[in-house]
Amino acid sequence: MGPLITNGIISPETDLLLAFIIGIGFGFVLESSGFSSSRKLAGVFYGYDMVVLKVFFTAGITAMTGLLFFSLFGWIDMDMVYINPTFLTSAIAGGVIMGAGFIMGGFCPGTSLCGAAIGKIDAMVFVGGLFIGVLMFTEGYPLLEGLYNAKPMGMVKISEILNVSDGVMALLFIAMASGAFWLAEWFEKRSKKVEY
Amino acid sequence: MNERGVERSKKYINPYLGGVLLGIVLIAANFVSGRGLGASGAVKSVVVEAVDIVAPNHTENSAFYSEYLELHPQPLKAWLVFHVLGVIVGGFISGVLANRLKFKVEHSPRITSRRRLIFALAGGILFGLGSQIGRGCTSGAALSGMAVFSFGGIVTMMTIFATAYGLAYFFRKNWI
Amino acid sequence: MKEELIISGRMNPNIDPVLHIWHWQIPLYLFLGGLAAGILFFAGLYTILGKGDKYRGAVVYAPFVAPLALVLGLIALFLDLKHQLYFWRLYTTIKLESPMSWGAWTLIAITPLSFLWAALNIREIFPQWKWKFTFLDTLEEFFRRHIIPLAWALVVLSVILGIYTGILFSAFNARPLWNTSILGPLFLTSGLSTGAATIIILARSHKERMMFSRIDLGLIIVELFFIVHMFMGFLASTQVQIDAAALFLGGPYTAPFWVLVVGMGLVLPAILEAMELAKFRVPAIIPASLVIFGGIMLRFIIANAGQVSRWLY
Repeated sequence: MGPLITNGIISPETDLLLAFIIGIGFGFVLESSGFSSSRKLAGVFYGYDMVVLKVFFTAGITAMTGLLFFSLFGWIDMDMVYINPTFLTSAIAGGVIMGAGFIMGGFCPGTSLCGAAIGKIDAMVFVGGLFIGVLMFTEGYPLLEGLYNAKPMGMVKISEILNVSDGVMALLFIAMASGAFWLAEWFEKRSKKVEY
Repeated sequence: MNERGVERSKKYINPYLGGVLLGIVLIAANFVSGRGLGASGAVKSVVVEAVDIVAPNHTENSAFYSEYLELHPQPLKAWLVFHVLGVIVGGFISGVLANRLKFKVEHSPRITSRRRLIFALAGGILFGLGSQIGRGCTSGAALSGMAVFSFGGIVTMMTIFATAYGLAYFFRKNWI
Repeated sequence: MKEELIISGRMNPNIDPVLHIWHWQIPLYLFLGGLAAGILFFAGLYTILGKGDKYRGAVVYAPFVAPLALVLGLIALFLDLKHQLYFWRLYTTIKLESPMSWGAWTLIAITPLSFLWAALNIREIFPQWKWKFTFLDTLEEFFRRHIIPLAWALVVLSVILGIYTGILFSAFNARPLWNTSILGPLFLTSGLSTGAATIIILARSHKERMMFSRIDLGLIIVELFFIVHMFMGFLASTQVQIDAAALFLGGPYTAPFWVLVVGMGLVLPAILEAMELAKFRVPAIIPASLVIFGGIMLRFIIANAGQVSRWLY
């Protein structure tokens, strides 16, 4: 049955309409979880507010197990779902640059849009920065092309690299996430309260 | 702001509930469109469209733009553009419901607004650049990648968090 | 001379769909015309009801936008004309069966009235205003005494103007998407709604803002009803109409129409206005601007999509 678009159940144009509705859900959940506040987001790096870690990993394992069950029941054909291709060098380089951007700017692109939507001026400036950064990439592409395309590994999954089944991998993630949640709660209680 | 105002504007939902809801949204995206969530890709669409309007000769001659425009003849009619429009609407509605609409620069009392804005701009630039090199941002690569076990997505996620933790000490004054 | 045998209506030039015969000028003009109609309608209505003192945004301030909108709209309309020097010929005849004749005559009446209304209220903005000639004072005095008939004229003419902006499309029977009489009331409602939104932005009191939020909410609901019925009508009609509707139900205009017009231009402002009435704090300018944005997009998308919709051959 799913994905609806690749199986031709909906037209590409209807897909765009549903993208808007899915976006509303995404923005609503992000904002109501507190992701529109940079100081709340940055808390995860200093231990005073671990909301990022909790929301992020809960979402990750929910979606992961949900999709596994959907696939098990035959509701979705996982071979037709886009799996982000792996280019090891650029994944690491991009991650390092984004990590620096995260700790300096206090937002990531999605959360900055939510912050901007409710009037956070720092979020609006961050969004402005995004445009400059993307323009730097598109203009500097000839220089970055080598890095961007180095070490292509295709649409490889972590479960394939570790040579375990997707189910076991999901179980591993759930175990790791549970440990992380326990640590996060412990850390939050211990650390100094920060008013914001 | 009065005591009640502060309290009323702080009603965030339980983070684990938020996570489950976010997970459901992500499943919906995969079920409907066979792809995950995202944000930075929409910025790219707008940038390409804008450059194409301002300097059409330039986009014709540059390999990146011309390839991109060939694959996406109408950059603004993209999944992520409509998605991001929805993100802004959804965030706004949630902000109204929780009484959080307010123009302000949020920053630690130990730094000035000016400093906060300079860092926000720098962070935005880095995130914009990094998201293009890494083929997606926290939503597109890290979260959506994790849900489908993408190796690259998980590597990106780990490097984002590891770098941010590694640099946290140097920027602590900005936040605590 | 080259002889031609006319064997089909299709041999008429441009009878087959050609996109961009009508560029931005026509939809812009239709939007501005509808906006002016909406503003003048409420100005006239509240004057007749004798509530001009309570609703000063509607009766005094917003009407200053109307002449501006009409003039800009007429400039856009003029730019679109092919034989610009012959536009006056419209005024050599009155044709009841031609929407263009209706429009031309309505505009020539309502445009000066909108200037007159603004002139009567000029002292609200420039308290020291003095007319240069004494006969203008006499004239002002005359119109002030007859403000109620003037308001009636505004109400009647603005309704005609509002409907005409839609009928201009419906009269075009070679384009199935436009050839539905529901466009008249739909564009009238949309015009009234954008007018109400302008009044919300320029409202002078909280009470007035709330009143017009309520009016606007009602208008949006009516508009959504018209849109749903427009599609129901298309789908229950012949194959050409079904094809025209398909442009919006899975076809190329699906996402722009349902997201930009219905989602962000109607449903979202309706939700925000309802929330505002339920005592949530919403900056009034946001739903109002969204309504205006939706009104613009409605005209542009209907104008564009109509030019693609075609008969079967």
